[in-house]
Amino acid sequence: MAVIEVTDLTKTYHGQTVVDGISFSVEDGEIFGIVGPNGAGKTTTVESVEGLRTPDRGSIRVLGMDPQSDHYEIAQRVGAQLQESRLQAKVRVGEVMDVYASFYRNPADWRQLLERLGLGDKSDAKYADLSGGQKQRLSVALALVGSPEIAILDELTTGLDPQARRSTWDTIEEIRDSGVTVVLVTHFMEEAERLCDRIMVVDRGSVVAIDSPSGLVDRIGSEQRLTFRPSEPVSDEDLESLPGVMSVNRVGSRIAVTGTGNVVHAVTALLAQRRIIAEDLRVDQTSLEDAYLTLTNGAASPSDLDKEEN
Amino acid sequence: MAATMKLTRLEGKMFLRDPIALFFGLVFPAVLLLALGYLFPGFDEPVEELDWSRYIDIYAPIALALGVATLGLVTLPPILGTYRQYGILRRLRTTPVHPSRLLSAQLMVHLGVAVAAAAMAVLVAVLAFDVPLPQSPLLFTVSLLLAAASVFSIGLLVGAVARTQVSGQAIGMAIYFPMLFLAGVWIPRSIMPDGLLVVSDLTPLGAAVQALDDTWFTGSVDPMNLAVMAVWAIVIGFLAVRLFRWE
Repeated sequence: MAVIEVTDLTKTYHGQTVVDGISFSVEDGEIFGIVGPNGAGKTTTVESVEGLRTPDRGSIRVLGMDPQSDHYEIAQRVGAQLQESRLQAKVRVGEVMDVYASFYRNPADWRQLLERLGLGDKSDAKYADLSGGQKQRLSVALALVGSPEIAILDELTTGLDPQARRSTWDTIEEIRDSGVTVVLVTHFMEEAERLCDRIMVVDRGSVVAIDSPSGLVDRIGSEQRLTFRPSEPVSDEDLESLPGVMSVNRVGSRIAVTGTGNVVHAVTALLAQRRIIAEDLRVDQTSLEDAYLTLTNGAASPSDLDKEEN
Repeated sequence: MAATMKLTRLEGKMFLRDPIALFFGLVFPAVLLLALGYLFPGFDEPVEELDWSRYIDIYAPIALALGVATLGLVTLPPILGTYRQYGILRRLRTTPVHPSRLLSAQLMVHLGVAVAAAAMAVLVAVLAFDVPLPQSPLLFTVSLLLAAASVFSIGLLVGAVARTQVSGQAIGMAIYFPMLFLAGVWIPRSIMPDGLLVVSDLTPLGAAVQALDDTWFTGSVDPMNLAVMAVWAIVIGFLAVRLFRWE
């Protein structure tokens, strides 16, 4: 059952089309990822779903309702964590949770929620004294305090250190395990790959692909490359005759074999059979990152952009 | 309703945790009267150039109006600018509670502080300098509330258009000082030239000072002063609501 259905969503700002005919649906209970370069229209898309933006064209159904006319009801049942939003510096965690809980007809027990998100001992801490990761988790807690059926999380882990990012990932998996559908807008392929059941790749306002992470990788072929230094000589012909091998190259004492399918297994089996040790063995597989780059026409990967910005 | 109450309580706590707002918004009018009264020789003596009234009697209503202006134009706009800049208003839009409730909460907090600040200043004037209690407490209170309504709606309008905390502060200040001048903070209204007095009469704070002065010392009020404040409150308040941007 689809909990979010978006058809032909189009949004123009100052004559520039930011979202150009995006259609997708989110199934009950899944983690649905939206990835794409900066300015691809990700945030405009989710903000339209949240009812914060009015689409110029297209239809949006959230839990069967219209985000504009049924805003109140949707707000009761959909929790949103917005990109780059802060709280008052001097507000205490427990205070803001208590106030936000009072907005909803079925509030979660906010103390338990804080506990679950690893903020159990932070109830009396001021917002300004929280670390970046704690602020993001508080933001998630606020999105969940109304016991929503859907949680929309926009750029949740941007700006977090790797450790905080990983612990936030665990949190998102827990949220899904508790039965909440999650829509995750992200910059990081690693994050999308680890968490999402399905990923929508958006580029220049249009959907490029919607598939599972492995489906996206399969779309652009699954070429593999392994390099090693054999402990005993092995001939090019022997390697080239293996199933799936496309090319064999030598650089000094290293051999590089490229191929598809079970090429890694074929090569290692041959070496094992001849009691040759593959020293310094490395296998490079097509990653979701590669798939993403190919699908978005080689636009700079968002995580590359991130590195430049930092 | 529960949500509005909780928001108001929370915003009240935020106000109390801001020492600067607390000083200038809550205690400054009383402190100003104490400072003027004790530091300036003859401030609480009748003087000839004021037709034998005392400077403290003239400055008591001015201190009250100044308190209201400080709350409406100095503390309110940057708070609203901050709330927009931080995305607090935007976050509220994703909840079942409309962000306008946060504005109401903020206005109620400021109104509460304005009343408390006025009460403290009146108390200081009465106890320390033998100023009489307001002759018409009812009209005095009405004047104070109208003063707050008119000045706060200007602050709300500034907060409606200021994108950030800093621009809220800058625009607020740019209105604050001319308004204080016209209210007679530096040149008492009694010695203002006629032309300036007409302009002063038409500003919310000029009307406020006059209404507070009259209701305090004579117990009556010129309805024109009340009308000026009411018109400002309604017209500017309407504009503020129309122009308010949540993000």
